[in-house]
Amino acid sequence: MSPEPADRPGSSAPRSPGVRRAWAAWPGEVASRLAPLALALAFVAGLCALLGASPAAVAAALWDGAFGSADQAARVLATLAPLLLCGSGLLFTFRAGLYHLGVEGQLVLGALCATGAARALWPGLPAGLVVALCVAAGALGGVLWGALTGALHTRGRVSEIFAGLGMNFVAQGVVLYLVFGPWKRPGVASMAGTEPLDSALWLSTLGGTELSPAALLLAALALVGTAVVLGRTHFGLRLRAVGLSPEAARVLGVPAAREMLAAFAISGALAGVAGALQVLGTFHRLLPNVSSHLGFLALLVVMLAGRRAALVAPIALFFSALNVGSLKLPMTLGLESSLSGVLQGVLVLLALLSPWKARVGRGGGRPEEA
Amino acid sequence: MTLCDIPAHDDRVIPRPPKSPAASAVPRPSSVLAVALSLLAGACQSSSTSSSPPAEKTAAPGAAASASAPTAPPAAAYKVGMVLVGPYNDKGWNQAHYDGIRSVLAGMPQVSFEYVDKVNPADRPNVKGSQVADDLISRGAKLVVYNSDDYKDDALETARKHPQVTVLHVSGDYAWKEGKNHKPQPNLGNLMGRIETAQHIAGCAAALGTETGKIGYLGPLVNDETRRLVTAAYLGARYCWETYEKKKPEQLTFKVTWIGFWFNIPGVTLDPTKVADDFYSSGFDVLMTGLDTPEAALQAKKASGAGKRVKYVHYDHKAGCDLAPEICLGVAYYNWAPLYRSAIEKARAGKYTSEFVWEGPDFRDLNGEASVVGFLPGAALGERKAQLGAFVLSLANGLDLFKGPLKFQDGTDFLKDGETATPQQIWYLPQLVRGITGPSK
Amino acid sequence: MRIEIERVAKRFGPVNANDDVSLTIQAGAVHGLLGENGAGKSTLLRILGGLLRPDAGRLRFDGRPVALDSPADALAAGVGVLHQEPLDFPPLTVLESFLVARPRAARAGGGARALLPGRGRAAGVFLPRRAAREELLALAARFGFSVDPDEQVARLTLGERQQLELLRLLSLGARALLLDEPTTGISGAQQEALFSALRRLKQDGKAIVLVSHKLSDVEALCDRVTVLRQGKVAGEAEMPAGAARLVALMFGKALALPERLPTAGDGVALALEDVGFGDHRLDLRLARLAVRRGEVIGLAGLEGSGQRLLLRACAGLLRVRRGRVAIGGADLTGRPYPAFLRAGAGYLPADRRREGLIAGLSIEEHVALRAPRPGVFLRPREIRRAAERAIEALRIHGRPETPVEALSGGNQQRAQLALLPGDLALLLLEQPTRGLDIASARWVWEQLLARCRAGTALLFASSELDELMRYSDRILVFSGGRVSPPVSVADLTLDRLGRMIGGELDEPAPAPAEPAAPARSDP
Repeated sequence: MSPEPADRPGSSAPRSPGVRRAWAAWPGEVASRLAPLALALAFVAGLCALLGASPAAVAAALWDGAFGSADQAARVLATLAPLLLCGSGLLFTFRAGLYHLGVEGQLVLGALCATGAARALWPGLPAGLVVALCVAAGALGGVLWGALTGALHTRGRVSEIFAGLGMNFVAQGVVLYLVFGPWKRPGVASMAGTEPLDSALWLSTLGGTELSPAALLLAALALVGTAVVLGRTHFGLRLRAVGLSPEAARVLGVPAAREMLAAFAISGALAGVAGALQVLGTFHRLLPNVSSHLGFLALLVVMLAGRRAALVAPIALFFSALNVGSLKLPMTLGLESSLSGVLQGVLVLLALLSPWKARVGRGGGRPEEA
Repeated sequence: MTLCDIPAHDDRVIPRPPKSPAASAVPRPSSVLAVALSLLAGACQSSSTSSSPPAEKTAAPGAAASASAPTAPPAAAYKVGMVLVGPYNDKGWNQAHYDGIRSVLAGMPQVSFEYVDKVNPADRPNVKGSQVADDLISRGAKLVVYNSDDYKDDALETARKHPQVTVLHVSGDYAWKEGKNHKPQPNLGNLMGRIETAQHIAGCAAALGTETGKIGYLGPLVNDETRRLVTAAYLGARYCWETYEKKKPEQLTFKVTWIGFWFNIPGVTLDPTKVADDFYSSGFDVLMTGLDTPEAALQAKKASGAGKRVKYVHYDHKAGCDLAPEICLGVAYYNWAPLYRSAIEKARAGKYTSEFVWEGPDFRDLNGEASVVGFLPGAALGERKAQLGAFVLSLANGLDLFKGPLKFQDGTDFLKDGETATPQQIWYLPQLVRGITGPSK
Repeated sequence: MRIEIERVAKRFGPVNANDDVSLTIQAGAVHGLLGENGAGKSTLLRILGGLLRPDAGRLRFDGRPVALDSPADALAAGVGVLHQEPLDFPPLTVLESFLVARPRAARAGGGARALLPGRGRAAGVFLPRRAAREELLALAARFGFSVDPDEQVARLTLGERQQLELLRLLSLGARALLLDEPTTGISGAQQEALFSALRRLKQDGKAIVLVSHKLSDVEALCDRVTVLRQGKVAGEAEMPAGAARLVALMFGKALALPERLPTAGDGVALALEDVGFGDHRLDLRLARLAVRRGEVIGLAGLEGSGQRLLLRACAGLLRVRRGRVAIGGADLTGRPYPAFLRAGAGYLPADRRREGLIAGLSIEEHVALRAPRPGVFLRPREIRRAAERAIEALRIHGRPETPVEALSGGNQQRAQLALLPGDLALLLLEQPTRGLDIASARWVWEQLLARCRAGTALLFASSELDELMRYSDRILVFSGGRVSPPVSVADLTLDRLGRMIGGELDEPAPAPAEPAAPARSDP
């Protein structure tokens, strides 16, 4: 049931139920975010105990795996970059009320286009220029994919969820075809991917680690930019209007379909850049699993963050640390590293089902009062 | 366990294809849950592929001196790390490596061991082989083994980044001075077993076993390695077909169908089960395989159960004939222990230098501990086993089947009459030889 | 059932929505609850219906104190609430909707004796369709409602949904019925059926509470009236009390009707030529309509007869199937909505909260959305000033940062008006005063007429005959899948308008010729 408007003058109290909550809003908000975390941790601790490992040891292993050495901490930050980029893109589509599962495919297509650009332009052009053009090509590929998904949704009236998933499959299919077909390494066709790029095109990293400061900087800029655009511009407001009520937004003169397309395209650009960075900074080649499911992970991050840009960074860092740290589990404890995947899954499930959670309304820029 | 069962798949463990996001294709309200669920489900799936309980590891030290405890005992001054591309217990390629190095280390109590399996982009997204190696090295590993061709760049990267660590890359060629891709790197070496000889024997067993004269080969993907394996099998089959069956080579059909990868990836590769069925139902009564997974044997068993007279030749898993003993013609397999023993000993002594090892069988005892490749004949050979024995003997006495005249499929000369192939010609085999049906590329 | 409300208070923050409210509702009587928007009627109704818990005071049903934690509690105690928008399930059939929201208590046999003749557990698992169908039809027959159990709820009119909900509540054993603005948006015939049903229920001894703005409803039905003002009981009256007294109680002052001066000027604001428009069930044709600047055209008819379609077609939100649409002389046929907006068309839908305004955004955010020349960045101070100006000009009870869903109906309508550009050529309104109290409605019309005087032509759909007759220059009547030619109000009486809505569109012989005259007379 939608909240009824209170039948009263609004002059003195614009939002009476809210006022009562105002004093409790901040701790309540924190509790609503932390409760699922605590529950998920408890659940996974139980699971560890069931598997015969001490939860404390698992936690220690995860911590050690994520921050035990400079190398690993750098890896956490390196994984953070694509998460932030995809997360920023998703903030746009969520703001427009869209469950955009196609972010994964956009990332893949970005990687594909970046690889294609590198193959076409190198060594004809200077390395720095090629790298920049690769990133641009990745963004362009993502835009293309996002716009296609958006067109399927706005023109074809396909649910954006199915449109996104469908486009994911197509992107994956194209990459598989290229990696096992025209772009395969001479004599080899393998899931391990194409011939590596010339090392001149690799993003430079910090010390001997895998952290590319440029990638992280780009991601941080994207997130800040996203926050500014969504919070401070007319476009952000229009997206919010579309997300809250496409029909009313249309009546008020907001071109809902166009704004949705724009949201798809922007999310595509950001995810495409993430894909390009995966190629240029992480894998140095195109491989079928180039996304590493980071697009879906970003989806979880954004859902858990309640679509708030400010919360995306810490939650993405947490997930990134889990993702990287989990490699220690099989090494030190003989446990499956996918335990951290279980933790992520449980976390998001509980966050979504949690009774404490402020309602995750479609496109709700503002958590609704219950 | 409530969340997900972790079934103990004892008989076969199949590396997972990339998880498809399709699981989350459900109507809107639940879709977000579905994403989370699919992630969860994915986690459960992969945890089922390698149930490597800590008990298994902690039980090992007594025998294998594996110090999997976070703090290695001071006595274990030397540590070996291994990066496996698939599950350590896959009854195939990976298990052969795992078992091989374990048996070596069982005799070296001062050497500790750590491994990470399923290091491939599908099972461990966002993890590269070189990262795993970095971690193993940071935990004290002085020698790191990469067990797949897929790791060639990772191996080189690790070797360059950690010059004090010995890096062994199985099936690569960067350390081969005479090879096409030589990349000089003193602490990087390559290991490979010369399985071609065992494939000759496997092909021979297939030729001795076929009644229809039609042998099928379930090929994985096409590359230098698989081309030479298929060719080796064909050469063995043709030799025995002529020598023992006294028939003309033209009467022998030898067909390879490539599925596209080392195992089935639904929607990406051909389905090996279907391909095997097609072979069996179109007159091919013997099926060889180069896959990691046992479809050839399983479908043979099924067809045999349905009354068809079919047989199979297994690959890479020594106990492969146990799947259907009465219709198994034999299995060609690797025994990695000798190669690992020698490399580890050299490295521990500080005497390791970059080398390319491509070693054949020890004919003194083909299935003994010292032989790097072996062939275990199956029950289905029956009295033909003697002829197979004679063939093995000729091989031991220097019979070289990579000898001219041999033509490639496109009719160009591979080897002129009397010419024998160089190791490079075999390793980098550009085409299948004439006589084999099926694409070279 | 007798309902006693004792010193009930409910605060929302600083606002006393109900302040020390005491009243008694007798069984076998219709009790009117009057008050302008925001007087506390709905809050009281929601307390009785178990949707809100009072901060103080208590309720007694038949002398027993009760504590209601949920609507199910209220229903179990015998109180059924008929909301303005019935809480039904549009995708279901009538029968399913009748069955589906059956609370567990009722299922266990408490209220629904007719439905479950003790068929054991299976009855709790399977829907007792046959029994329900019989009961539904019997109940409907009793009240003279025509109900098709297999029809989709989504296809019913508001009045029919209301009837269904009423039957459902009765079948669940409601002994007291609370009706929130039940005559809003339903046809005259449906209103008659509802009233006769309510009279019948009164005779059965049910307690009935009628919340309404409409004095006519109250005068027709109620035995006793309580008037609320600013959360307090302003007074009670036995009926008939006389409209003047009730108005005085509600507003504390007597209201004068505004004088309606003709506003139609020269020039054609809207021209429709041989247009065809419709949706999946209607296909309407309108031969010709020329609306002069400043003219007011009323669209009469039962709700859902196509008035909304015409308004949306003129607004550019619905593509006409044939013919031409021109606004201010510019042919806009087939052009997209923004072109209509640029040509000066403005449209206010009836469902303000879902279609007209964006729940979740504040007044100032709406102002920013409608900014005529938005830059890239929002300029908070300018927007706030603009919002404050709009709030001031239209006397909206709210602040720039107030979310629109927290505004009362009247203030939402004011907000909608505030968001319209100043120089419209054509203003299209659906139910412009629905849910508004008399003073608000009058005020809204003052604003609208001021626009007309400035040259804006106005098309509005209404189900209030009074409103149509009072403000229109000409009226189009929608009935039975057809549209009448425009009829000058001077040629109409309430009675004739009523008959036309009832289907006698063709009665006046000269009607077809009539529209041509004003159109031709334009220069």
